[in-house]
Amino acid sequence: MNQPMIQVRNLTKNYTVPERAPGLGASIKSLVKPQFREVEAVKSIHLSIDTGEMVGLIGPNGAGKTTTLKMLSGLLYPTSGEATVAGFIPWKRQPDYLRRISMVMGNRSAMNWDIPPLDSFKVLSEIYRVPQQAYQQTLDELIALLDMEALLKKPVRNLSLGERMKCELVAGLLYQPDVMFLDEPTLGLDIAMQRRLRTFLKKYNDTHAVTVILTSHYMADVTALCPRVILIHHGELIYDGDLDTLAKSLAPFKLIKIQFASPIDNFSEFISQFSSVEELPSEQGHHVLRIPRQEIPQVTATLLEQFPVADLTVEDPPIEAVIDQIYEEGSV
Amino acid sequence: MNHKGGWALIKNTWQSWLQHRGFFFLLAFGWMLPLLVYLFIWSAAAGEGSLAGLTQESLAGYYLVLILVNQLTYSISNWTVGDNIRYGQINRWLLQPMSPLYHSLSSEIAGKVVFMLFSIPITALLAIIIQPRFNLTWSQGLLFIPAVLAAWALRFFWGYWLALLAFWATRADSLLALQDSFIFLFGGHLAPIALLPAWMRSIAQILPFRYMSAFPVEVLVGQLTTREILVGFAYQAGWTVVAFILYRLVWTRGVRHYEAIGG
Repeated sequence: MNQPMIQVRNLTKNYTVPERAPGLGASIKSLVKPQFREVEAVKSIHLSIDTGEMVGLIGPNGAGKTTTLKMLSGLLYPTSGEATVAGFIPWKRQPDYLRRISMVMGNRSAMNWDIPPLDSFKVLSEIYRVPQQAYQQTLDELIALLDMEALLKKPVRNLSLGERMKCELVAGLLYQPDVMFLDEPTLGLDIAMQRRLRTFLKKYNDTHAVTVILTSHYMADVTALCPRVILIHHGELIYDGDLDTLAKSLAPFKLIKIQFASPIDNFSEFISQFSSVEELPSEQGHHVLRIPRQEIPQVTATLLEQFPVADLTVEDPPIEAVIDQIYEEGSV
Repeated sequence: MNHKGGWALIKNTWQSWLQHRGFFFLLAFGWMLPLLVYLFIWSAAAGEGSLAGLTQESLAGYYLVLILVNQLTYSISNWTVGDNIRYGQINRWLLQPMSPLYHSLSSEIAGKVVFMLFSIPITALLAIIIQPRFNLTWSQGLLFIPAVLAAWALRFFWGYWLALLAFWATRADSLLALQDSFIFLFGGHLAPIALLPAWMRSIAQILPFRYMSAFPVEVLVGQLTTREILVGFAYQAGWTVVAFILYRLVWTRGVRHYEAIGG
């Protein structure tokens, strides 16, 4: 039987944080007798991820996503619980483990800013002991995939944020890790660059079967890349499964957007006969209706029958709205 | 151990430092100035005669060699280590399959090369102007090499373990400033050890600071007897071992503590 690439049991992390009231008096008091408070950042989570899976780890700021990634990459020691990644216990930080994983952070740079990326890549290949031929081959492949030939000779500090992110990805993949932890890789990038990076990650995952855990606040990243999502809130795992199922269970409604060929007087009256249909503010000349999924066929048929319809679409509510609802309510 | 990776890192750091050579040249110049001031003060005090056996020319020789030794042993990377811990940059080093010590060592080696590019010509120019004099023998020259290497190792690891205290106290770098003050007092900067009052001289004999800077200079310019050289090497070796053990202890506990508190 195949062992999962990442296996986590009861993983818990508590932080001890210093705490004091504002003001000079309190700051002097805390000097003599500091007060500490225990914060539960991650509470007993379980998960299991197979080789080649791309999983989205989502949750609001402070939910415990980065803490989880830091434990799995070996940067943090857990308070309790177990984890194995690629057969290793991450926080032992054995060199053989570190050569098999990669952590790319959107808000931190792994590059030396003073020298061109090509020089940094070369050093990384030595640190990770990549044979010369394999290095050249991987580098050529990544450069072609990311279309970044032109960037290689400029010092990193002269690159744009998007260009730098491409370099971070190359730096993280040069040694062909089996597992990638991507912590908000598209942070601050423009839409086109976000899309390009997504396409790249998708392609790379297809060809190399690298196991990926991705955190992002852009739902477009998650919907494009991760069939499976893990939702963390206040340190607890509250959902693990298919993104579509999550959306459906959370949002039993769809939106109908409708435009008429000529102005209609009695539309509001018509709506009021359906108790479960709600009219939302109109968008660009379209009336917007929120309707329970099961009533869609009937309402749509009636609309088409009774009114001069010029345009009609049925849509799912945006995923952001669904996620926002969970963040607000704190449960699925 | 991953020496190949370490060597690649050294070459890289060197390139990156050369990008900022103007900054490092100014820094090296700043380190020179106080020593030049003391050179002139003590030369004036010695006048035509001598102080504790040191004439104007031998004082000039002492301070010019000290300028070079000080730059060879001064560890700029100790300051960076504290900053990296404070701002969480050390995460990047911890994720690599190589001891983070290599990052500091590469800055050290790269830095020395950049500083020497500036300091050797300047010191040579000063030597032409102020005409130092000391008897240089082959044996002094040969003993100077291990003395200066050990002085660097001692100063580096001593500063390194102090810098690593940043794992617990974020502004541990003030301890590095304190180390510099002790070197100034007991490391032959303020005055050659021979000119210090007897009680300070005996403290300087015991503490590690003399062995981080003045000792190799005294060996080279011939201020020491054979017995004093041997005792000096023994103290230097002993303190270097202590510094290394302290570094290992503080590092293993510090990383564990850091991992426990996050960053």
